[in-house]
Amino acid sequence: MCYLCDEYGNPEFGGGIWYLNPYNYSRNMYKLRLPGEGHKGVEASPETGESTGPTTADLLNLIEKDDREGFDRLVKQMDEGMRQGGGGQVLPLKDAEKVMDLCSPIGLIACLCRKNWRAVDERSENEYTCMGMGVGMLKWERWPERYKGGCKFVNHEEAKEWLRELDRKGFCHCLMMFGAPYIGGFCQCDFPDCNLIRWAVDFGFGVLKSHYVAQVDYDACNGCGICASRCQWGALKFEVTTKKASIDAFKCYGCGVCETGCPRKAIELIDRKSLPALAEVW
Amino acid sequence: MCYLCDQYGDQQYGNGLWYMNPYNYARNMYKLRLPGEVYKGPEAGIETGEFERTGPTQDDLFAAIEKGDATEVDNIIKALDARSRQSGTPGQVLPLKDALAVLDLMTCIGLIACLCRKGVRAIDERNEHEYTCMGMGVGMLKWERWPERYKGGVKFVNPEEAQEWTREMDRRGFCHILMLFGAPFIGGFCQCDYPDCMALRNAVDLGIGTLKSHYVAQVDYDICNGCGICASRCQWGALKFEATTRKASIDQFKCYGCGLCETGCPRGAITLIERVNLPALAEVW
Amino acid sequence: MTMPRRLPEMVLGRKFPKITIDQEKCTVPFLCKKCLQICPEAVFHVTRVMKYEKRLEEMDPRIDGYFVLHATRRDRCTVCNRCIDVCPVDAIKIEV
Repeated sequence: MCYLCDEYGNPEFGGGIWYLNPYNYSRNMYKLRLPGEGHKGVEASPETGESTGPTTADLLNLIEKDDREGFDRLVKQMDEGMRQGGGGQVLPLKDAEKVMDLCSPIGLIACLCRKNWRAVDERSENEYTCMGMGVGMLKWERWPERYKGGCKFVNHEEAKEWLRELDRKGFCHCLMMFGAPYIGGFCQCDFPDCNLIRWAVDFGFGVLKSHYVAQVDYDACNGCGICASRCQWGALKFEVTTKKASIDAFKCYGCGVCETGCPRKAIELIDRKSLPALAEVW
Repeated sequence: MCYLCDQYGDQQYGNGLWYMNPYNYARNMYKLRLPGEVYKGPEAGIETGEFERTGPTQDDLFAAIEKGDATEVDNIIKALDARSRQSGTPGQVLPLKDALAVLDLMTCIGLIACLCRKGVRAIDERNEHEYTCMGMGVGMLKWERWPERYKGGVKFVNPEEAQEWTREMDRRGFCHILMLFGAPFIGGFCQCDYPDCMALRNAVDLGIGTLKSHYVAQVDYDICNGCGICASRCQWGALKFEATTRKASIDQFKCYGCGLCETGCPRGAITLIERVNLPALAEVW
Repeated sequence: MTMPRRLPEMVLGRKFPKITIDQEKCTVPFLCKKCLQICPEAVFHVTRVMKYEKRLEEMDPRIDGYFVLHATRRDRCTVCNRCIDVCPVDAIKIEV
């Protein structure tokens, strides 16, 4: 299984999958900050770009210098850095709905990535494309700039409804931790505005692939091509010769928007571990 | 410009584009084979996999990946790329408009069965309605020498018929890749898709072989209505549909400028612009 | 920047599956075409037995028309087993 399941999963809950372990949805409300300790983690606003570790700019420098080894090392380092801070994983809609039953409270909020990359200013509950959960949300007023427009608290059913709507629109669901193993956010992603997908597709680090992989049933596929426009990871092509969807299982992140978009149910998500060659491809 | 233009282009013809230089469409009918010289190049049946090769093979690449040796992997990929350029075979992507232009420069033009589709998907194209490949030049006149390669025969066509056929291939969603057979002589025009076409497989998976076209696709966000047809046509993985803006999103570094998105767009929202006009892409081949 | 492109999902150190094709059983791969057309990753590929092009009168259809099946792109095999399920003569074995 993925390293998150190894470290934070519990076989008693949901077959050992880390995000079906209820213990990961709770944490202390307050954390004691010792004198001299600066703002760290989520308290230092992610929006400002004030980070202490290596950034994308460092990656670009290495590419310009044609330093392949340095680049590989830095990618590994940034991947490690993300894992320590939190990290996350892609979830298909069915697992996303299960998660909604485990967390509380659930708040719909403005998306940070869309704000930074596309200057999209989500100010009302009809526009929010991001979700925060857990006790941290109760103190949202401490971060007025982050939560401009406020926070719309919803119950489990409303949250599932909202997820289904965003899935219909073609957004992938990425479950994020804020100080592992505490699960704090549920990003609704697309390419290229979402940092997670950008880093994963362009550099190969960051968010983990889901526990599933998509497969096409060639008998049911009628070649409509809808799935090809939904894939945000570059895993789905339309093979002209056979007139069918062609999914590259290695690139597939198992987000399932192709499955939910297929009008003939020709695509199915299967367990990643049932395909031996993919069992360790995260 | 690309290395093919540098080496084989002529400023007098088509602004120095190598494939607009008529001299590249002609060659000697016969080549003297000295005693002891074995079959090389296209004469050794391409289908057999018996190609004279030096340097690393695909198995070497797999072994290096399995070992986890990153430097070795990169070296092998570089060597494979260099070798494919020496043989000249995987040429360059051409969008439809340039494809139509080159069809006026060549003779004779013959429609034939596609080798890649045969090898990878066991599709046996046996008559003129099924052919998805094109050969050209004087070599085609001796097609009967390769009875296995040209099973079903060759359908010779005039330039207008060839242009009609190419438009049909484009409509169906195949990319057009102009191939060299012993640079600089242009011998074939492949109609490609992923993953059955060898050229695309190597280009998309390893980044080697086929040169990107002299164009790059761009979306006009005012005209794009988010229908998503373009996303299903891109064979290179360069086009995504951005859910946030509800528009086509083209990664110009991955874009090979084949123009399938442009010809597929019902609203004319995508245009091909010249690669040299985008400084960062001018040397991205 | 002229770094050779290596896809992020090319996980270094991953051992590829070993695919064996029983050539005694797989005699007419080109006519059968089942595994070639069902594989989502296009792992398989046929090559011709006849090495060099011969003139029409020299061809022996009993030998020269034959193809041989190879699992060329075993790096892309996900072991989904569709090829094994679809093969009518049980010629394929995959070892992880």
